[in-house]
Amino acid sequence: MKFKFKGLLSTAIAIASGVMVLLGYFFTVPALVNVRIELVNWAVILAAFAIFVGVVNLLAVHGNKVRRKEKGRFYSFILVISLFATLILGLALRPEHPTVAALFDSVQLPVEASLMAVLAVTLTYASIRLLRRRLNLVGVVFLVTALLILLGAAPLPFFGDIPILSDVVRPFLTQVLAVGGARGLLIGVALGTLTIGLRILFGAERPYGGK
Amino acid sequence: MTVSMDLITGLAAFLLTVMVLSYLIGDNPFFRLAIHIFVGVAAGYAGAVAWHQALWPKLFRPIVYGTLAEKLLAVIPLLLGILLLAKLSPRAARLGNPAMAYLVGIGAAVAIGGAVMGTIFPQTAATVNLFGVTGDGMAEKLFEASIVLAGAVTTLVYFHFGAKAAPGGPRRGKFVQALGWVGQFFVAITFGALFAGVYAAAMTALVERIYFIWIFLGSLF
Repeated sequence: MKFKFKGLLSTAIAIASGVMVLLGYFFTVPALVNVRIELVNWAVILAAFAIFVGVVNLLAVHGNKVRRKEKGRFYSFILVISLFATLILGLALRPEHPTVAALFDSVQLPVEASLMAVLAVTLTYASIRLLRRRLNLVGVVFLVTALLILLGAAPLPFFGDIPILSDVVRPFLTQVLAVGGARGLLIGVALGTLTIGLRILFGAERPYGGK
Repeated sequence: MTVSMDLITGLAAFLLTVMVLSYLIGDNPFFRLAIHIFVGVAAGYAGAVAWHQALWPKLFRPIVYGTLAEKLLAVIPLLLGILLLAKLSPRAARLGNPAMAYLVGIGAAVAIGGAVMGTIFPQTAATVNLFGVTGDGMAEKLFEASIVLAGAVTTLVYFHFGAKAAPGGPRRGKFVQALGWVGQFFVAITFGALFAGVYAAAMTALVERIYFIWIFLGSLF
C-alpha cells in the first residue's frame, strides 16, 4: 500500500507539471505563461543537479576501479585527475576564464575534430562493406545518391563543376526528393514524440520508476 | 608568457590529435588515453557550467541574496534537487523518483509543444504552401511540389506498421504495402543525402586536422 502511494505521488507530479507547462504553451494567458516559465526554470535547476549526479557517478565508478586495482585503472586514474582539474578550475575561475577556455581549446576541440576525422575513414569503410554485404536496390539507391551529391558538390580539379550533375541532378536530389523523404521522417518523429509525450501525461508510460 | 602558453596548448592539441587519429591503425592505448582525458575534461567542464549557469544564478543566489518571495520559490527546486541526489545511493534511489517524475513531466510537455508547434504544423504548412505558385515555371514547381508531397506521404506510410491478422501471419494491406515500397526509396535518398553531408563534414575535419599537424610541426622547426 505504501509503495503504491509513492508511485502515485510520482505519477501525479509528472502529470500535473506536464499539464501546467502544456497549458502555458497553448494558451497565452499571462498567469499560465508565468507559471510555465517558472516550472521550466525549476526543470533547468534539476537538470543541473542531474549533471552533478552524473559527474559524481562517473567519479565513483572510475574511483572504484582505481581503488580495486582493476584492469584499465591507469585510464580511470587519468580520467579522475582530468575531471577534478577541470571541475576545480571551472568552479574557481568560471568556464569563460582564459585558462579554462585554453584547457577546453586544447582538449575538447582537437579530440572532437579528430573523432570527426576518424569518422571520414570509418564511413568510407562502412559504405564499402554495405556494397559487399547487402547489395540490394535500396542500398544501391542510397550509395548512388550519396555519390552523386558529393560529386555535384565538390568541383573536380581542372574541370570545375560537372555539367548537369552540379546544376540539375544534385539540386533535384537535395531540394526535391530528399526534402520529401526528410519531411516524412520529421513528421513521423514528431508524431512519435507526441504519442510518447501524451502517454506520459496520461500516466500510461512511467519512465521515472513509478509502477 | 603568451608564447609558452600557446606552445603548451598547441602541443597538447597536437598530441591528442595524433593519439585519436592513431585509431585508424586499430584500437590502442594512446587512443584510449586520449578518450579518457576527453571524457574527464568534458564532465568537469559540464559540472562547472551547470554550477555557474544554473545552480548559482537560479537557485543559490536567490536563496542567499534574494527577497523572501524569491527564497520561498527557490525552496521547491532545492528540495527536488536534494531528492534527485538520492539517486546516487542504490538504497535511497527510490526517493529520487518524484524529482525524476517532475523532469519527465516537464520534458514530455516541452517535447509535445516542440513537436506540434515546431515540426508538425510548420512542415505540413511548408508542404502545402509549395502548391501555392503562380506565374512562370508553374508546371515545373507544381511537379516538384507533388514529388515532395508524395515523398512525405509514402515515407510516413513506410513506417506504418499496422497490419491485419491473416492465415500466414499479420499482413499489411496491398495499397499500404505499395505506398511503403515507394517510400523506402525516398528514405534511401534522404539518408544518402544526409550521409553525403556528414561525409563532407568529416572529410573537412580530416583535412583540417592534417593541416593543423603540418602547421604545428612546421612551427617547431
